[in-house]
Amino acid sequence: MSNAPVIANGQTVSGSAADASAPVRIAVKDLNFYYGSFHGLKNVNLNFHDRQVTALIGPSGCGKSTLLRTFNRIYSLYPEQRAEGQILLDGVNILDSKVDLNDLRSRVGMVFQKPTPFPMSIYDNVAFGLRLYEKLPKSELDDRVESALRKGALWDEVKDKLKQSGMGLSGGQQQRLCIARTVAQRPEVILFDEPTSALDPISTGRIEELIEQLRSEFTIAIVTHNMQQAARISQFTAFMYLGELIEFGPTNRIFMNPEKRQTQDYITGRFG
Amino acid sequence: MDAANPMTAAPPLAQRSRVRPSRRTADRVLRTACLLATLLGAVVLGSILLMLIVEGLRGLSPALFTHPTPGPGSEGGGIANAILGSLVLTTIGIVVATPIGVMAGTFLAEYGRTSKLADVIRFLNDILLSAPSILIGLFVYTLMVRPMGTYSGWAGGVALAIIATPVIVRTTEDMLRLVPGTLREAGAALGAPASIVIRSVTWRAASAGIVTGVILALARIAGETAPLLFTALNNNSWFNANLMGGIANLPVMIYQFALSPYPNWQQLAWAGALLITVTILALSVIARVVIKPQRAR
Repeated sequence: MSNAPVIANGQTVSGSAADASAPVRIAVKDLNFYYGSFHGLKNVNLNFHDRQVTALIGPSGCGKSTLLRTFNRIYSLYPEQRAEGQILLDGVNILDSKVDLNDLRSRVGMVFQKPTPFPMSIYDNVAFGLRLYEKLPKSELDDRVESALRKGALWDEVKDKLKQSGMGLSGGQQQRLCIARTVAQRPEVILFDEPTSALDPISTGRIEELIEQLRSEFTIAIVTHNMQQAARISQFTAFMYLGELIEFGPTNRIFMNPEKRQTQDYITGRFG
Repeated sequence: MDAANPMTAAPPLAQRSRVRPSRRTADRVLRTACLLATLLGAVVLGSILLMLIVEGLRGLSPALFTHPTPGPGSEGGGIANAILGSLVLTTIGIVVATPIGVMAGTFLAEYGRTSKLADVIRFLNDILLSAPSILIGLFVYTLMVRPMGTYSGWAGGVALAIIATPVIVRTTEDMLRLVPGTLREAGAALGAPASIVIRSVTWRAASAGIVTGVILALARIAGETAPLLFTALNNNSWFNANLMGGIANLPVMIYQFALSPYPNWQQLAWAGALLITVTILALSVIARVVIKPQRAR
């Protein structure tokens, strides 16, 4: 099943099969989200399984990025945004006001749509998160940086220029640098917010391979506009529309045999 | 064949053109008017500069940089004490203004985005930015010169700092606002508290712009005269190291010497004016060079 591409509804589903028995890492319960008075997410209930890639798809403005941004509470940088309900990360409600946001964010990493290298050297970019909470001796820091860059599939390209600015890399390299920076902190969950929409097809391919590799260590949630991408790299897919979760299930089933009419219409390109 | 008149020119051309002739005339008129206005401005500025260069160069000599200002009626002399005094005063001004300005600009851009207090501060800063500089001179006169009973270099430096601060606040805020919000989000997403994100990410990203703001503030206070008239005043003797008492400085020296009846004083005023102008020009050029790589990105 996992290696044989299946063509259904005009989509190729080639990602490996979903493991629904994997433990639940993030459980979203009755989540509502507000931008001021605008109701951005409506009663969302959803589980993210350990070491599985879950893709969030849906037309622009459907709330998929909004949902992603609740998992590390990055939205709380903006006072007018608020979430109600529960998001359990390993059983603890992260929407609780007592949760230490910086601690949460070191456990739930995020990679953004546009590459966001910091204006400092490649080495310092990767070491940034490591230096925040850990006092590591130089040799161990070097090891962690190297290992993160290897996991980011960037080591071979930058090992001779670690002191050069991260801003000088190409777009695809910058994005892999950001992935390495996130991985370096050894988070439990990594959130990807349309990580390839600003990249060319070759860079996109490399990032997709990378996500596939990272799955062995991390629980991954990815927002994407590209349905082929969702089909290629995810084990679970959630289809959202107008702030509501319409359908959720193993990617194979969502793409081959959606239960809801709206999902079917979106996947076959009838709207969105 | 009247080719010069588009109305009666060969029909194919008239048919091809969709632009009404009246529109084309209006275009030409406006273009000429703009050109004339530009020329007028350039000629006025150019003649000021030309006169300054011609008269200033005539006054340039090594003595300018080695001798203090001459007493009334005496021959020769230089403006070394005024140059040194100006350097000291602008240094005090910029050293005091930079930390305050950068911090306040950071508050406005990073912490106070949505606060009412920030709106009030921003408004007051804009007023201070365009306040007549003589007012600031009078303010420092009341605050420092009167209680201390003497004109002083310290008072001059403080007056210049008050003029430089709003410039630095404004450019710092503007430059920090140009830093993409995603960079702050990326910092926060790694679990970095706001203070660390500001120190090691946003300041760095905006550093060229902030430095430019400081240089422009330096250029601005280098030529200020009015605030120094009431604070540092002037002094014909050599520099007084404890900064108490009047301190010679280029702008006030120019003001006094240019109004004097002595030809050698007037000559020195020209030379001083040229020196200030060249310095400000150099600072502006440096500011442009500093900001360039950031724009190119």
